[in-house]
Amino acid sequence: MERRLLILGIETATMQVGCAIGGHEGVLASFHGARGRRHVESLVPSIEFVARHAGVDIHDIGTVAVDIGPGLFSGLRVGVAAAKAFAQALRVPVVGVASLDLLAFPVRHSSRLIVAAIDARRGELFYAFYRQVPGGAQRLGGYHLGTPDELASELVATGEDCLFVGDGALRYPDLLAQATHAESGGPAAAHPSATALVELAHPLAIREEFVQPSELEPMYLRRSDAEINWERRTPPDWAVTA
Amino acid sequence: MITCLTKSVDDTRALAGAVASLVEAGDLLVLGGDLGAGKTAFTQGLAQGLDVEGPVTSPAFVLVRSYEGRLPLTHIDVYRLDHIQEVVDLGMAEIVDSGGVTVVEWGDVVTPALPADFLEVRLEQGGADDERVCVFAPAGPSWVPRMAALSEAVGSWSAAC
Repeated sequence: MERRLLILGIETATMQVGCAIGGHEGVLASFHGARGRRHVESLVPSIEFVARHAGVDIHDIGTVAVDIGPGLFSGLRVGVAAAKAFAQALRVPVVGVASLDLLAFPVRHSSRLIVAAIDARRGELFYAFYRQVPGGAQRLGGYHLGTPDELASELVATGEDCLFVGDGALRYPDLLAQATHAESGGPAAAHPSATALVELAHPLAIREEFVQPSELEPMYLRRSDAEINWERRTPPDWAVTA
Repeated sequence: MITCLTKSVDDTRALAGAVASLVEAGDLLVLGGDLGAGKTAFTQGLAQGLDVEGPVTSPAFVLVRSYEGRLPLTHIDVYRLDHIQEVVDLGMAEIVDSGGVTVVEWGDVVTPALPADFLEVRLEQGGADDERVCVFAPAGPSWVPRMAALSEAVGSWSAAC
């Protein structure tokens, strides 16, 4: 049981790469780097660094927690693959937490409507709404993919004071002007943090809300079941003879 | 739409080099055409025009290759993929958004997974063995205003139709 409580958190859902180790006494050590797309290069060395500075032997990790998105594919696939690999090698269970929940967690004491929004590229945002409840923040409804205009009209409709977290409002600053009484958490609240991940994963690990490493998948929101229409994949005659 | 004629693989590279003078950060080029039509050659010429050093080879087996040049160049080949979702999984949206130039071979068959703003480059067999017809067609707002400049840049390959 004691071993279960030491959690390795892996966070790669945005431009930032992060990891943290903690347990019942809180976060022992963490690392975050946001300089470009450095997920592959930074993640494993930073886990070694964090384990060393937390005074933790990696074999003592009892649970792997990972941000499963929604977020950037280039980052998520690195984090999810690493989480699976660590979990399988250490023979420990995995906890998956959504990026937007992680953004809302540090501002859970705000009485405003919390709007977590991540830049999804292609002119779209991943977003979700949260409200303060005793003991934390509760998500209102599901995770959405939509344009800044769609999000803005939802906020205008509620007419509530809101607090933006995530890089969505940094990419689309007009959102703040469009919404009623909106404030931004700014760059400090732009990325989900690995420390929030470890803190949020802790009660989930105690309740054993695990997923099998083999079943762990990033949350995509952009889904297409269509097959590519490959009529032209067979080479034409002239290409073979050329 | 602009139609050009190239007489050899090197000529296709030279044509792409002329196109390189017009590309900007954030551009997406969608290359269409059958195997052997010169999609990789076109990308090589474009890379040279963007001052990429070192060889540019087909990404057919690694799916994505990145190069540093005057602008960063990302070369993608979706030939081995079967589902549109796999194209999405490559992180297409964020690659195109990362401030460089993105070239997608066989991109014309996966347009639902691509941003709606791109220059389509279609390469087809010409009259002689080594001849290729190259058609440039803008899709979306970023290339339409550049078509006159593109027409001028590729003027010496222009095919009278």
